[in-house]
Amino acid sequence: MTQDNLPSAAPSIARLVQELNRLPGIGPKSAQRLAYHIIRLPEEEAYALAEAVTAVKRNTIFCDECQNLAEHTPCNICSDQRRSRSIICVVEDPMDVLALERTRSFRGVYHVLHGVISPINGIGPDQLKLKELLTRLSAPEVEELVVATNPTLEGEATAMYIQRHLSREDLRITRLARGLPVGGSLEHTDETTLSRAFQGRQEL
Amino acid sequence: MAPISGAERTRTYRCEGLTLRKASIGEADLVVTVLTADHGKVRAVAKGARRSSSRLVGHLEPLTLARLSMARGRNLDIVSQAEVIDGFPAIKDDLALMTRGLYVAELLDGFGPEDSPSPALYNLAVSALRTLPLAAEPEAPLRYFELHLLRLTGMLPELYQCVECRGDVAPDGHRFSVNLGGVLCPSCTPPEAHVRPLSLRAMKVLRLMHRGGLREVGKLGLNPQLSAELKSILSGTVRYWLGKEVRSNSFLERLHSEERAAISRDA
Repeated sequence: MTQDNLPSAAPSIARLVQELNRLPGIGPKSAQRLAYHIIRLPEEEAYALAEAVTAVKRNTIFCDECQNLAEHTPCNICSDQRRSRSIICVVEDPMDVLALERTRSFRGVYHVLHGVISPINGIGPDQLKLKELLTRLSAPEVEELVVATNPTLEGEATAMYIQRHLSREDLRITRLARGLPVGGSLEHTDETTLSRAFQGRQEL
Repeated sequence: MAPISGAERTRTYRCEGLTLRKASIGEADLVVTVLTADHGKVRAVAKGARRSSSRLVGHLEPLTLARLSMARGRNLDIVSQAEVIDGFPAIKDDLALMTRGLYVAELLDGFGPEDSPSPALYNLAVSALRTLPLAAEPEAPLRYFELHLLRLTGMLPELYQCVECRGDVAPDGHRFSVNLGGVLCPSCTPPEAHVRPLSLRAMKVLRLMHRGGLREVGKLGLNPQLSAELKSILSGTVRYWLGKEVRSNSFLERLHSEERAAISRDA
């Protein structure tokens, strides 16, 4: 959307609409609705929003170790001495770290790739934080790599690519189990998930 | 129950479809591009399909053949139900085969007609994906797919007569021009032609692929030199007509070069 699409709007409003329209999932109508909502906000709330956007860009960096977004390096997780550094869980995005941390089941450290290999979209290994992962894995203290990329075609491609490039034979490499979701049903489950769930069955 | 009116009948339809690609949209939705026999290439929204509890999850992954129930939408159709027919697990368990499968999907997305029946193209795509893991040389089904994709979309290269003088091509001295669309005899070299030599073996394999079936092609053993020559001709022609690079091909070539480097390192 260009400013010409809103000829009757004041230039600053048209510019805000244009910027909001760049955000993922925000179409022209949503951008206009959000812009007029921001205009109607009390002044301090609008400034707080603007300050939050500025601060997140000014203060956020990549953690040198796990490549997650943080405000200092090493990040809180990597600098936590209670966590094991012998097990690294590799995930696609920072939001996956939040999801896994909510489970409170994992006490190792993470590595964030910031994407997945997607040949059809032209995303290859060089666009991800893969080189950094392979460097970390060469440290002898690392005993296990948990590949927690999503169980999608791209997630599987990334997992297979990582496996191909592991040079240490003594490193254990595991993949998160795939199976039936809580509240799901066998009837509507696809054949790949069902067969993996069957292979991964456990003693009652 | 009241009888279904004609208008209601056309509002929904059922089909078999091969998912070519998917993209995330909104909080948990997907937009999928599906190749069908009866409706050509269809773009449709699968609402909530990114949630692990969705009935659609797993049924709409790229390179999955599924039975679909669709509702016509104003812009995009809506997938209401999906059930996997063939998930091509043998392709998805191997990175190089998966990338070849994605190459097929990318070409179908580039060449596939929208809103018009294309049963021959659909059957070609499904047969090529089924042959990939069984082939003696996995590049051979890709070349077959490229040649017949060009045939079905009206861009088949001329393999029997010189594209310039229309004379029969002699058994030696073949050359091939991507931009003129086929073989050239030794005496014709139009100034605008981008010409490359074409070996007799490559010519024979191209003609076999044109007249033969995928089953025969799947048994073909191609030496690396012949495989590279066929790839240069057919992938080059596909790229010429598509007007852009095929992205998954770059990753496939990277995998090949990494494999070659690993072999020479081990040696």
